[in-house]
Amino acid sequence: MSTVANRTGTSLRASLTGWSVRGILGVVLLVSVLFFGVPLLWLVLATTKSGHALSVNNPFSIGTVHDFAFNWSQLFDFQDGAVGTWIKNSAIYSVGALVITLVISIPAGYALALTEFRFRRALLVVTLVVMLIPNTALVLPIFLELNVVHLIGSPLSVILPMSFYPFGVYLTYIYFSTSIPRDLLAAARMDGCSEFQVFTRVAMPLATPVIALVGFFNFVQNWNNFFLPFVMLPSSKGYPIQVGLTALLASTPSFNPSSAGAQSIQLPTLALATMVSVLPVLLVFLFSQRFLIRGMTAGGIKE
Amino acid sequence: MVLALALTGCSSSTTTSGSASAAPAITADTGKPITVWVDSDRAAASDAYKAAFPNDPVTVETYDGGANGSGTFRTKIQLFDTSGSGWPDVVFSTQNNDAAWASQGSNGKQAYAAVLNSGLIPDATISGFAKGALDPCTVDGKVYCLRNDLAQDVVWYNKTLMDQFGYKVPTTWEEYQALGDKLATEHPGYIIGAQGDPWTPEIYMWSSKCQANGITGATAVTVKTDSTECKRAASLLDDLRANKTVPNVSVFSPEFVTNYTGKVLMMPGPAWYGGALFQNTASVNVPAGQMAIAAPLPWKGEDAVTGDVGGATWFISSHSANPGLAAKFAEFVTTADAYQVDKAPGYPAFSAAATKWLAKQAASNYYATDMSALTTAGGEIWSGWGSGISSQEAIWAKTMTPGITAGKNLVDLLPDWQKAISDQYQVDGYTVN
Amino acid sequence: MKSNTSDGSSVGAGFLRRRSALADSPKRRMAPSAMSYAFVGPYLLFTIAFGLGPALYALYLGFTKRDGSGFAGFANFTHVMKDFRFVPAVEHVGFFVGIWLVALIILVTFFSLLVHSIGANRVRTSLRTIYYLPGALAGASSVMLWLFLLDPTASPANFLLRAMGMDSFNQVVVPSHMPVIFAIIAFWAGAGGWIVIMYGALNNISQEIMEAARIDGAGPLQLALRIQIPMIRKWITYMVIMSLAAGVQLFVEPQFLSQATQGSIPNDYSLNQLAYQYAFKQNDFHGASAISLLLLIVALSLSAIFVARGGLFDKE
Repeated sequence: MSTVANRTGTSLRASLTGWSVRGILGVVLLVSVLFFGVPLLWLVLATTKSGHALSVNNPFSIGTVHDFAFNWSQLFDFQDGAVGTWIKNSAIYSVGALVITLVISIPAGYALALTEFRFRRALLVVTLVVMLIPNTALVLPIFLELNVVHLIGSPLSVILPMSFYPFGVYLTYIYFSTSIPRDLLAAARMDGCSEFQVFTRVAMPLATPVIALVGFFNFVQNWNNFFLPFVMLPSSKGYPIQVGLTALLASTPSFNPSSAGAQSIQLPTLALATMVSVLPVLLVFLFSQRFLIRGMTAGGIKE
Repeated sequence: MVLALALTGCSSSTTTSGSASAAPAITADTGKPITVWVDSDRAAASDAYKAAFPNDPVTVETYDGGANGSGTFRTKIQLFDTSGSGWPDVVFSTQNNDAAWASQGSNGKQAYAAVLNSGLIPDATISGFAKGALDPCTVDGKVYCLRNDLAQDVVWYNKTLMDQFGYKVPTTWEEYQALGDKLATEHPGYIIGAQGDPWTPEIYMWSSKCQANGITGATAVTVKTDSTECKRAASLLDDLRANKTVPNVSVFSPEFVTNYTGKVLMMPGPAWYGGALFQNTASVNVPAGQMAIAAPLPWKGEDAVTGDVGGATWFISSHSANPGLAAKFAEFVTTADAYQVDKAPGYPAFSAAATKWLAKQAASNYYATDMSALTTAGGEIWSGWGSGISSQEAIWAKTMTPGITAGKNLVDLLPDWQKAISDQYQVDGYTVN
Repeated sequence: MKSNTSDGSSVGAGFLRRRSALADSPKRRMAPSAMSYAFVGPYLLFTIAFGLGPALYALYLGFTKRDGSGFAGFANFTHVMKDFRFVPAVEHVGFFVGIWLVALIILVTFFSLLVHSIGANRVRTSLRTIYYLPGALAGASSVMLWLFLLDPTASPANFLLRAMGMDSFNQVVVPSHMPVIFAIIAFWAGAGGWIVIMYGALNNISQEIMEAARIDGAGPLQLALRIQIPMIRKWITYMVIMSLAAGVQLFVEPQFLSQATQGSIPNDYSLNQLAYQYAFKQNDFHGASAISLLLLIVALSLSAIFVARGGLFDKE
């Protein structure tokens, strides 16, 4: 892959003659790097500063450990430790939905790809269509539906809807249809494996990459979901951290000026809250980017 | 003492003092826990309660307080109504129009707000609030909320600066406008007001008897913004915005503090401006002995009337599993000295607390004049502006603030304002005349 | 709303081209068994409960009268469309989506080509990572971060804001700037994922075709216009469809901005917010469902186009 790209690059580069064109493109690239990169860098630095330093000092200076500790304690003391609860909630909802998603999606994708049953094609079409509907579109009807069974306010009201993840089923389906040699499954059956054993002993171990991919995408989507928990979990004690950010924002005088009271959140503390609210996802992004980018560019890589 | 007398003078029923001190006599509650919603400012109130009753099972949650008509309080409660559980037991709201919906059950559901004057809150406490203070809480004779503070508009001015510039405090809005014009040429950079906040109409339009919010029935409103009364206030604001003496800036914004610290000559505004702006190190922080208070201004040839900016409210849930504790909490935060006198930045709605609050302010010698103007203003609130269900602050913020930020004149925007108010009230189920 | 680019729906593009979902042959598929139904059963249940069920329920509510007295025809729809807040909400969402899509189409294509043409492997990889990382901040967190970046008192780019004549946060967040601001936020968080996908697609273009064109004397610009862009057009289409479907759902961004602007950005700024107001302020779930349905129709017709023209993705 890289040799192919290099070849393309070399010949393209050779034909980019004018220095001026190159110069302009270089500047454009630099601007794009600043646009995408600076906000995150700035956010990390901002969490180490005092409110005063944030507005007065160089935006890219590093603050002090003391200020970071102050921001940390202000954040986690807010509303008697609500932020800790919200993070815990986020973890419960995201992981809970992740587990159910995997338990549901992987066998379903397998069955759709490698077995036959009635309405299989119909289910595939439905999966494709539903997969493309943004997850916010059905929030209000789902609210009414879950209200009928008295689940509003319960963690299940977000875990269950988030566990419906047609994209995961589709991904698994594609994987099993293209990457598992059927002869292997047939051989296992010949060896006397039951259908269930074929799935657990042969198919599952081979499907580790796609399970990881589905798990990652589902986790990220669950963690960042806002509208669903905003509606389903209206009390503070049930908020995930993303919704909790609204409460923090309302207590920040700079963005909600009429609040200047005892519970006030300073700007660097709010920056820390933003940082904390994305930390798990950001870590996954950082440490598995190779794997993820490979997954995302999969379409482009020749087999 | 004169002050205290003047104050009780506006309320015949303030003789029942002592309920403020009665509240702490109740012993710790061991019943079911209650949940309380406050905005971040009023966390001081719940902190005071927790200090007084550390063993009471009270959980405090912070929300936006419904500020600027965000409607958070209402939408969340209706969400709980739909799901049938989860209501907070006590809610603080920065708005004073919430009784309009909270007293009504929607779609056959039980109304959220508990009736307070049928035993939940002692009559002595109810009658201890200043005259008219509970009007925004009262529907058909039933009281649905307790007022946190009174927010009558007065005229704040810097006496030291006035003397230094050789100006006289204006006695009519016409003089006020003339002073602005004069100030703009003689001392540019100084201001006599601000018009960048959503409650701007509640300061300038209300006190000009502009009929933008004429509540005439439970679901009827009269909106008429093309009157002389509306136009004169709008044109005053346009003129003074143009010469920069009443700029389009929010009094809570950082640039207000940066640009106008030491430059506030006058500032018509609610009672809570004193604690929130002038006597606040985080705001313009005027040194002691300079600020003074004058009674509301009349338009020439008319009686002085004034408006009212919020004056927040406390609600108790009709669904509360522990109404006793909820009532105890609400009574404490509205009447007890530990919050209303010692901590609250605004003028307490509970008369006994107000008396002590005024005495405390007077004793601090912060103000250059006595505070009788606050009491005067309390009796001059124009009743032609009601507390309907639609938020005037939200409408102003959405319709007028962007307009003037874009350089338009308020006078020209009055028809837009009329339409925005009418549309919003219609959507909220009102008949608009 | 732009979560779709950072979650993985976009990955579908990559997988879709390998094999059309509907074109697979049933050969050597095992016979129906109880096991198949057990495997697919839970998913079917969830599809009905959280996919089809809510959609049908919304349909039912949207077409019944508010007092529950039966069929309402299109009354709920005309009611919400006549609401004075409806047209502004459509305009707000429309402007935002329009600006965002144009930015995505032009800039994502441009940067994919540019990154792809860079020789040094390490530079390419680093660039992709830098573009891609903001995707971790979807929704609420990215709005929060941008509140800082748009506040001249704290922003690292305050010189830019000041150069444009904006000295205070309130001057930055005026309503007329909102579509651009929302588009910038969405672009910042979502574009990287698409650049990575386009890059992968560009890698996939056969070298023979490129060489042939080069021998014919095509420069980099002609190569891009005649070969590369036509070859990745289907991914651009896919990006547009996904972004359009997600963009019309705008909710969390104006919700935060409303709080931060003392209500100058109203809490009924977008269609989804209006639906929320209908449901929980006016207690009109029928009106709310009507708006949800309108949004659903947009999303559904877009995905239907995509599925119907799925053949688009199984050539080569």
